[in-house]
Amino acid sequence: MSEPSLKSEGGYVRQAWLVILLAVSYGAALAGVETTLGPKIAENKRNETYDKIPNLVPGADKSRTVEMLLEDADGNRRRVYQALGSDGSLRGWVLPAGGQGFADRIELLIGLDAPAARITGLYVLEQKETPGLGDYIAGPDFQSNFRDKPTAPPLEVVKGDPTASNEIPALTGATISSEAVAAIANAAIAAVKEAIRKHAVSLQPPPRSTKNRHNP
Amino acid sequence: METFVLLIQIFIAAALINNFVLHYFVGVCPFLGVSRRVDTAFGMGCAVTFVMTVASLLSWTFTYFILRPGAPLPAWVWSRISGRSDVVVDLSVLSYIMYIFVIAASVQFVEMYVRKFFPPLYKAFGVFLPLITTNCAILFACLLIMKNLQDPTALWGLGESLTMAVGGGLGFTLAITLMAGIREELAMCDVPKPLEGAGIALVVAGTLAMAFMGFTGVDKSVAEALAKALH
Amino acid sequence: MSDSDPTALERFLNGILPENPIYRQLLGMCPTLAVTGAMKPAVTMAAATAFVLVSANLIVSLIRGLLKPHLRILVFTLTIATFVTIADKALAAYLYQMSKQLGPYVPLIIVNCIIISRCEICASKQSVGVALADALGMSLGFALGLASIATVREILGSGTWFGLPVLPSGWHGWGIMVLPPGAFLTLGLLLGAAEWLGQRRAARATGKA
Repeated sequence: MSEPSLKSEGGYVRQAWLVILLAVSYGAALAGVETTLGPKIAENKRNETYDKIPNLVPGADKSRTVEMLLEDADGNRRRVYQALGSDGSLRGWVLPAGGQGFADRIELLIGLDAPAARITGLYVLEQKETPGLGDYIAGPDFQSNFRDKPTAPPLEVVKGDPTASNEIPALTGATISSEAVAAIANAAIAAVKEAIRKHAVSLQPPPRSTKNRHNP
Repeated sequence: METFVLLIQIFIAAALINNFVLHYFVGVCPFLGVSRRVDTAFGMGCAVTFVMTVASLLSWTFTYFILRPGAPLPAWVWSRISGRSDVVVDLSVLSYIMYIFVIAASVQFVEMYVRKFFPPLYKAFGVFLPLITTNCAILFACLLIMKNLQDPTALWGLGESLTMAVGGGLGFTLAITLMAGIREELAMCDVPKPLEGAGIALVVAGTLAMAFMGFTGVDKSVAEALAKALH
Repeated sequence: MSDSDPTALERFLNGILPENPIYRQLLGMCPTLAVTGAMKPAVTMAAATAFVLVSANLIVSLIRGLLKPHLRILVFTLTIATFVTIADKALAAYLYQMSKQLGPYVPLIIVNCIIISRCEICASKQSVGVALADALGMSLGFALGLASIATVREILGSGTWFGLPVLPSGWHGWGIMVLPPGAFLTLGLLLGAAEWLGQRRAARATGKA
């Protein structure tokens, strides 16, 4: 896109008036598009996570989800979601997590119960693992293995049938993908567990005093 | 140290595993058009790497400071105009326009630089240098940077972006040079007439892509090995 | 307006087969390889490209009298980038999952050589009606090209077409077809097939004459 000298044809502005006019009108058009479509797109992005929350945390009402940023054990800020029931009580937490899989990045949503002691569910948001082998991590069968597992000790992937409560069976022919999912979950839970626990304690209603209850 | 391992991972991923041409299909036009001779192919690869680095540097700077949601410069301007400093200004709707002009400017800059300091190389390139503007690979690198600057809790710094750009450019150079080497041999083979030219080149590219699939997982293994070695 | 310029109908028919952007002009290879793993993304990409091509051709044709020669590429690029942004935002708003699947390939329409070359060759020189016909013809040709490749890749790779199973369930799915090597191989072989048909037709024409 080489540009020969413009000096011989009058000032730059006279030459470029069309470009400037177009730039301004296109800018206005794009501003209009952003104003009308921007909120819809943000809602789509939010719903992508929120729609999964009732499946990840039993009893959660997705419309009462509270999004928040917590500082994790490494000093980074992480986004977590409080899964509240319809009555506003804390049912659990949903934790987005990501990391390197076998082929490319894997993005997860992990459901935890209110005291962050058990995993209530796992959902693979994005993965690019090998089709027909590794991409079964996105299937409900593999993901259901994570339900009701303890958050400590860390999850371990084993070939064959699991014996301990923290063991997950590996997918046939996709051990590395399975291990990656477990590793991402372990890292995320370990980083954020303390911060979640502290926050859960602060959310609990203060214990009601039993002193005056029996006074007539 | 973790940063170093992460950078190595990004570099290997961009150059070999997620090779821009053979995995992401960007830059296929010059890949098919300029790959008949190894020396022009290598030159084109170097030019693309150079432009990609310059363009990524500029687009990261613009995106970080101006375009992304929560960028500092528009927030400062808006707080001066309206007095409110709690508004998150998001100019990312102008991203694509900004990137295409950054790329055009980078190509201009590289063209001037090559013409001044390497005149014979400039003559050898001919019309290819301006054509890099429409090279999908450079815009793709900018889009990758934009994608990784969207979430305020996980931003890519300048180091990661430049590593990805250099890795991507070198991966493109590797692919196009390999292709040129193969095509130089193919020119003396008995190719079926309908497949001559683009047809056989694409079939060869498919085989190359299959070969590069063998690199899957290498970045993770190298990262783990490095992490062990450095601790 | 010279008489030798192609008419609207000629432009329209030209774009579908004789100067098909994929099979004859070899333009727009990036989306052709990237989104043709299945029919749905291929058709969505074709529609998005059609929107940008038609809009860009319309606007460029309307302002063709005002274009300065050395700033015209700038004007084309600005116009195309704006419409691509609009298309991308519309997709993200109304077809969010498809927008995520297509990913960075929608903004890559900006550097799709088809659109800039049609602006340069036709829209900047001919009237609105002709430019519109040209854009529609090229869009149809592009859609046909994408659909042909996507059909082969989806049926062989997943046994489905538009997501509906068309092969017996014994067909496990030829995975490589959905992956990058399959894209290159399919495009190369289909190009060879198209070339062979063209050469046969040319040979028969000269044989008769």
